[in-house]
This record gives sequence, C-alpha cells and structure tokens, in this order.
Amino acid sequence: MRNIREQLNEEEETEINLTPMLDVVFIMLIFFIVTAVFVKEPGAEVNRPDAQTAFTPDSGSIFVAVTGNNEIWVDRSEVGIEGVRPAIERIRAENPEGGVVIQADTEASNQFVIAVMDAAKAAGVDNITIAAAVP
Amino acid sequence: MRKNSITNIQMEQEENEINLTPMLDVVFIMLIFFIVTASFIRETGLDVNRPDQDQPQVVSNEEGAILVIIDDTDDIWIDNRIVDPRAVSANITRLYAENPDRPVVVQAAPDSSAETLVGVMDASRLAGVFNISIAGGQ
Repeated sequence: MRNIREQLNEEEETEINLTPMLDVVFIMLIFFIVTAVFVKEPGAEVNRPDAQTAFTPDSGSIFVAVTGNNEIWVDRSEVGIEGVRPAIERIRAENPEGGVVIQADTEASNQFVIAVMDAAKAAGVDNITIAAAVP
Repeated sequence: MRKNSITNIQMEQEENEINLTPMLDVVFIMLIFFIVTASFIRETGLDVNRPDQDQPQVVSNEEGAILVIIDDTDDIWIDNRIVDPRAVSANITRLYAENPDRPVVVQAAPDSSAETLVGVMDASRLAGVFNISIAGGQ
C-alpha cells in the first residue's frame, strides 16, 4: 500500500503544473487584444518634411497621406478630396479614440493639406497631427 | 495482481487530467501575433490647430497674433517682408519677445508646399510659441 503511494507521488513531481503559467499568458493575451489598435496605413509612400521639434503623439491611428501629386490616400486606397471625410468617419467608427495623422509630402500643396484638416475636423476629430521626420 | 492494480490507478489519474500543452501552444501563438501586430507604429509629427470654419476669426497684426504668410511661390512673409526660411524662428522669437502670449497664425496659400508649412510650424515651436493656428489662403 505504501509502495503505491510513493510511486504516485513521484509521478506528480515529475510533471510541471502549467495552469498558473496559462493564467498569466491568458491575461497577457487579453491585454494585447484589448490594446491592439489596428492601424490603417494609407498605402502611399511620402517624403516627410523635416522638423526638429517633432514629437510622438499619444494617439494617432487614422493616417491620411497627401502625395507629391496631391493624391489623397486613406486605408490603402486613393480617395478624392471629397472622399476624405467619409473615409475618416468610417475608420473613426471602429476606433473613436484615434487621432488623425496627415502624412503630407514635401511637395504637396497646402490647399489639399488644409482640406484634409477641414475634413478631419468635420468628421469630429480634434486631434490632428502633421507627420514630420526628425532630421 | 498487485502490479495490475498500480497501473489501473495510474491510468485513471492520467485520464482525469486534461493535457493543456496544445492549448498553451495555440495561446502562445496568438499572444505573439498580437504583440507583433500591436505594432507600435509611431509617427512623429507636429500638432495642428485648425480653427473652426463656422466661426471664422479675423486675424490681423494689430490684433496680436504673429501672422506668417506663405505665398504661392513658397516665400515666407512676416511683417510685410520676405523672410528667409532659416530666419523665421529668429523673427518669431523677436515678435514674441515684444509681446508674449501671442499665438502664431500661419496663412498658407493654396499652392504652397507642405514642406514650407511644416518648416514654419517647426520654426515657431523652436521659438517657443506652441500655439499655432493654420489659416487657409485666399
């Protein structure tokens, strides 16, 4: 009888209990799912202007690119100047906290940059940033 | 007989415990996926203050704002003079020193380039004026 017990005990010792680790991993998983902000990249490469005072804003998840040819890109598709506002509203519906980051090419006309700012304001976004690179 | 009983007990115990290892594998892969896609896409940039359109604000030099005008040929005008892009910061510093707490208003012409606009905003921030509004040109 004693012999059986000893053998059982020994077997339990050799197997590591994974449950606490699983708990931790699950909590991390839930944390990352909740904090994951699915950033919509504009899909156009732009040449950012330099700015020495550029900083990293807290929230920027709606990216609008204005290329050197004054094309406006949101979420991997080119939208016209009148299509910016619906596009921003659509992305904003998924992520109401996100700010707008305007990635304007160095060659882009301010007419279009300002039009994008107005569209973002009209869509209800107060947090607007112009992308700039630190030289 | 005795041996048989031991194996029986062992088998039973193994049956009772669910093997968590494959589940842990899946959870780990999901964890790694979310960590990677949490892709801290950090874009550096400058804050923009665009006044509301429905309440247009008249800006003029007398009213106190430091008015910087960018014309269609990307020339920068401060106080009715063309200013070199490198001298914008110094000019804003001087005007700000004369009368602190003034905002900077950048009036950008439609065909001016974004580079100039960002340059002026950067110069203003370098001069210590962080209250920058952007106005559209005519």
